[in-house]
Amino acid sequence: MDVALDRLIAAANQIILGKERQIQLAVCCLLAKGHLLIEDIPGVGKTTLSHTLARLFGMEYQRIQFTSDILPADIVGSTVFDTHKQQFKFHPGPIFKQMILADEINRATPKAQSALLEAMEERQVTVEGQTYALPQPFFVIATQNPTNQIGTFPLPESQVDRFLMRIELGYPSRQAERELLAGQPRHLLINALAEALSPAQLVELQQAAASVYASPALLDYLQAILAYTRQSPDFVNGLSPRAGLGLLAAAKAWAFIDKRQAVLPEDLQAVLPAVAGHRLNAGSSDSVGIVAPILAQVSVH
Amino acid sequence: MNALPSSRLLWFMSGSIGLIALPHAWHVPPLLIGFFGLMWLWRLLAIARPAWLPNRWGLFALTLAGIGLAFSQHRGVFGRDAGTGLFVVALGLKLLEIRGKRDVYVIVYLAFVVAATQFLYEESILMALYILLVCTVLLATLVTQNSVSPQTVPALKTAATLIVQALPIAMVLFVLFPRLEAPRWSWLDADNQAKSGLSDTLEPGSIAELSLSAELVFRVKFDGDLPPPAQRYWRGPVYSLFDGSAWKAAPALFRAANPDQPAFGGRAYDYTLMMEPQKQNWVFALELPSAFPAGLRRNELYQLTTNKNPGDRAEYRISSTPAYNTGGISPAERRENLQLPGKPSERIRNLIAQLRGTEASPEVLIANLLQHFHRENFRYTLNPEPMPERQVETFLFERRAGFCSHYATAFVYLLRAAEIPARVVGGYQGGRFNTVGGFLEVRQADAHAWAEVWLDGKGWVRFDPTAAIAPERIEQSVNVDLQIASGAANFSPIQLDAKTLTWLQRGRQLWQNVDYQWQRWVINYDTDNQKALLQSLGIDDFVKLGYWLLLSVGGLSGLLAWRLLRPNRRRRDPVLLTYRQFCDKLRKAGVDFGPGDGPQTLAQRAKTVRPDLADAIDRIAAVFIRLRYEPGAETGDLRTLKTLVRGLRV
Amino acid sequence: MLGHRRIFILPTQRGLAFVLLIVLLLLVGFVYSNNLAYLLGFLLASIFFVAILHSFKALAGLSVRAGRQPAVFAGQAGAFNFQIGNPGRQGRYAVQLALQSEMAISLAPAETRIATLYQATERRGWLQPRTLTVSSLYPLGLFRAWAPLRFDSPLLVYPKPAKRQLPFPESGDGQLSEGLSRRQGDEFYGLRPYQRGDAIRQIHWKTFAKGQGVFSKQYAGAGSSELWLDYQQAPGHNSEERLSQLCRWVVDAEKAGLRYGLLLPNLRLPPDTGTTHYRQCLQALALF
Repeated sequence: MDVALDRLIAAANQIILGKERQIQLAVCCLLAKGHLLIEDIPGVGKTTLSHTLARLFGMEYQRIQFTSDILPADIVGSTVFDTHKQQFKFHPGPIFKQMILADEINRATPKAQSALLEAMEERQVTVEGQTYALPQPFFVIATQNPTNQIGTFPLPESQVDRFLMRIELGYPSRQAERELLAGQPRHLLINALAEALSPAQLVELQQAAASVYASPALLDYLQAILAYTRQSPDFVNGLSPRAGLGLLAAAKAWAFIDKRQAVLPEDLQAVLPAVAGHRLNAGSSDSVGIVAPILAQVSVH
Repeated sequence: MNALPSSRLLWFMSGSIGLIALPHAWHVPPLLIGFFGLMWLWRLLAIARPAWLPNRWGLFALTLAGIGLAFSQHRGVFGRDAGTGLFVVALGLKLLEIRGKRDVYVIVYLAFVVAATQFLYEESILMALYILLVCTVLLATLVTQNSVSPQTVPALKTAATLIVQALPIAMVLFVLFPRLEAPRWSWLDADNQAKSGLSDTLEPGSIAELSLSAELVFRVKFDGDLPPPAQRYWRGPVYSLFDGSAWKAAPALFRAANPDQPAFGGRAYDYTLMMEPQKQNWVFALELPSAFPAGLRRNELYQLTTNKNPGDRAEYRISSTPAYNTGGISPAERRENLQLPGKPSERIRNLIAQLRGTEASPEVLIANLLQHFHRENFRYTLNPEPMPERQVETFLFERRAGFCSHYATAFVYLLRAAEIPARVVGGYQGGRFNTVGGFLEVRQADAHAWAEVWLDGKGWVRFDPTAAIAPERIEQSVNVDLQIASGAANFSPIQLDAKTLTWLQRGRQLWQNVDYQWQRWVINYDTDNQKALLQSLGIDDFVKLGYWLLLSVGGLSGLLAWRLLRPNRRRRDPVLLTYRQFCDKLRKAGVDFGPGDGPQTLAQRAKTVRPDLADAIDRIAAVFIRLRYEPGAETGDLRTLKTLVRGLRV
Repeated sequence: MLGHRRIFILPTQRGLAFVLLIVLLLLVGFVYSNNLAYLLGFLLASIFFVAILHSFKALAGLSVRAGRQPAVFAGQAGAFNFQIGNPGRQGRYAVQLALQSEMAISLAPAETRIATLYQATERRGWLQPRTLTVSSLYPLGLFRAWAPLRFDSPLLVYPKPAKRQLPFPESGDGQLSEGLSRRQGDEFYGLRPYQRGDAIRQIHWKTFAKGQGVFSKQYAGAGSSELWLDYQQAPGHNSEERLSQLCRWVVDAEKAGLRYGLLLPNLRLPPDTGTTHYRQCLQALALF
């Protein structure tokens, strides 16, 4: 199993060059059963990353391009009158797939965004009083442009924590960029990718990751972090209990990827920017900078 | 503020109220306790269905009914029983009317009063512990009332903590707080408490009844060694009037006075006698008391009486001397002790003539008489067949089976018939030695009757005819427990020595000792005791007492305050302490790190600064991580960590 | 941190009644010469005494700090956040907090909680919290321990938004001839029930075909223009009314996702959108 996971990460690194940490975080997010938000300027490979992950995890994949005129019904589906059978029939929207790539989510209106975010939270869709369950597993990888771009609707702060992690990709290094320029087009590589994990294997891995041990001392540290964010004047809102749970789950998955059976403070610190950054300050994309005072101030021992 | 109490609180409260009232079921009239029980059950049912509670008018009617009931049972509100009944009824009624916080307090306070009335009926150590337990639950009710999110166990814990912390101060107050002698309130003593024991009439069956009672009569603690068992006669009433079946003590008014004071010789025994509550004002001293405190009087019959209320426990310091001579006898006294109910029969006179032989000496007659009892197949039994008519003759010539009072009666009768002054003495004989407490316990089952004969030049001399039949009865005392267990009163010699003293009996002795100390130091602590104690402490006036009170209460509460309010010291985790030492060493070695660095980060950084220590640093980090973050660290790991850190040279 | 200098203790009415109870028990002991009744009386007396220490302990050592105070509009209840920490090892089962509103909390050992207490706001500007009273009746309710605390932790009160929804003012460069909310931009914003006067091509036929009613499509013209909210142009008899109207506009503009700038006599905030800008504008209005 572990070997499969290693292979998966290695394969992803073949496609997206020089972004080992981001790839590990993305895999970690999926192992922790969380939704992922990738934020960066266009063209740095957000879509490529999500596409690669979907491919490697072997899940049904659907890309939804969010635009300013997309309607909630375009995402979740709608009820249409069937003239043959003389009755209304539900046409499921693109969201009824295991893995959703919500591209440029902040281009859509708040209404359309809400439709997606609610589905993420509840893992089901309600259309005209009827409830339809979403497939299992269900992942959303959303990409968004930095909010200061013109013509965007920033995700509402209250809903942004539906995403377990937010990661930034950033420009590639010089060497990675050279390889990118010299190599084959990425979409060809992606299409050539074989699935590295079956959905059943993924479920197994998720369970194994969740059973990683977190000692009382570690929980103390986690609680100290939560308490710090709630007290510090640096942050408008502290981390919620849900954020705390997410932080722990992500740290466990991180430790699991590192092949350890116990969570260390370093695991928490590794996932903290991705898990806490967008919750503490949605307006800024500098996650590492946001959590830097936490890492410096909260005493581990 | 006036929110309705939670159901947890109601359960708590109803539970403790039920516990409080429970022991009252034995002495509050059934009607009243039934009324209370009804209210209590109603309350319990209404916890789940508050709509079942009575409305204002229903409550009013119930109140009237309850008060009426209380009055009908006691005709008044004064006195122990009436007051207790009223409080119990009030508690029951109040249970149905809980509208807010205030009512909860009223009920809890009422319950405390009801708890106190419990002590008016029973003062045993068990009852005290029971009430203490119930008080804990009552306090926990208040704690629950004042908690935001009440939890049962912490509330009980807090209540118990409060009581434990309060006890030392309570004890000091108990000992030092000025105790006033309460006047005797006649109207409070209206309630008679029936107690068994010897009376001034000795009927044939009266001692046999007592033989099954393990009730304690008194305890004796000797200063030195104990008198031999054959001398352990505790003198009670003296019976000189015989009507053919029962003996009566001569009325005090007509009692003939003895001209001489008794002369004592030989060694004296000093002891502390602690009487349990009695019906009569008799104090059972070892024969014969030679010195006794001022509150006691030795009457013409050498029996001690007290002028205090016999219903209270009392403690006396007494000296007794087993060797004594009472001197002469007045004519009136002689006459009194020769009295017979009619002329003795032919058979009796023949028996006397036969026993007396040719010589006329009373001593010889007595010796022969005792021999007669011993030889002629007389038996000792506590349940002889009834002898309704001509008791003495039936006993002497037909049944030849009886217990101490039969033998004493026959013995005295025969001597009186032989013109020798004699009388029956009641009291207790023997007693069981409690090895744990080092005192003698005398119970009702130790009740005994023996004879006293006046001999010229010797005065009144004790003879115990029972000893001639069953010497074991005198030497080894009665095994009360065995008698009670078997339900039979047939006397059989019992082998009882230290070897056969099982742990059960030892336990019982221990318990008796605890109970003795309890009675002695707690129940019996009164103005006199307090005065004596205070004087031994050097406190002779109220000012000094005030200082003492202030000082001891202040000292205790200061101690408590220090314990309670000192700043919480952080629990020291040895793993963390050792790790800090490690950090200090690294810092000294020039490794730069902050509070937010985890063990792996720290180890990495330290290794880059000091590659020479890489091995040791890795091992320390690994052991530390295992101890602090991984499941199932072993006990040896901590020692390893300590050794490694100590061994790290920077 | 609550130390002994700041905690006051007085017996409650129930505490005084408890003293009466003690006297009654001692009286029973005296009248009947009953030592156990005495003992019970003494026990309750010392419990009364020990309860003082426990009342003190119920508050001692608690740390109370003012937290972040979120801004509100005038007229709304101002929510003051306080952070109550229990550093000790024993739980605090009943801590009552009172500002203008009251609340009771319990704290587990080493727990820290945020308590939000409310106080009415009337005027815009900074609002200081009143005296915060931390009190406790724990454990028996015989004593009340309390500590009055003052904090310098003001809360920002924005002006009260005007009630009437007026159209946005015309921009200085005259680019907008009508209220922007009515303008048909090219960015789809959402649907709203059909109102008379809506253009027929604005009707959303899809929903109409499904028999769900008649809806009009709404467009917002983000990016197409900028809105200037000017103090001088705001209607109102006095400055407060003008600020109130400006406040309303800021709120509406933010809701509509417009880019808006604020012009005050002494301040100029260039057009922008987003939460940070929104807060800046409101703060400027509050402190004007």
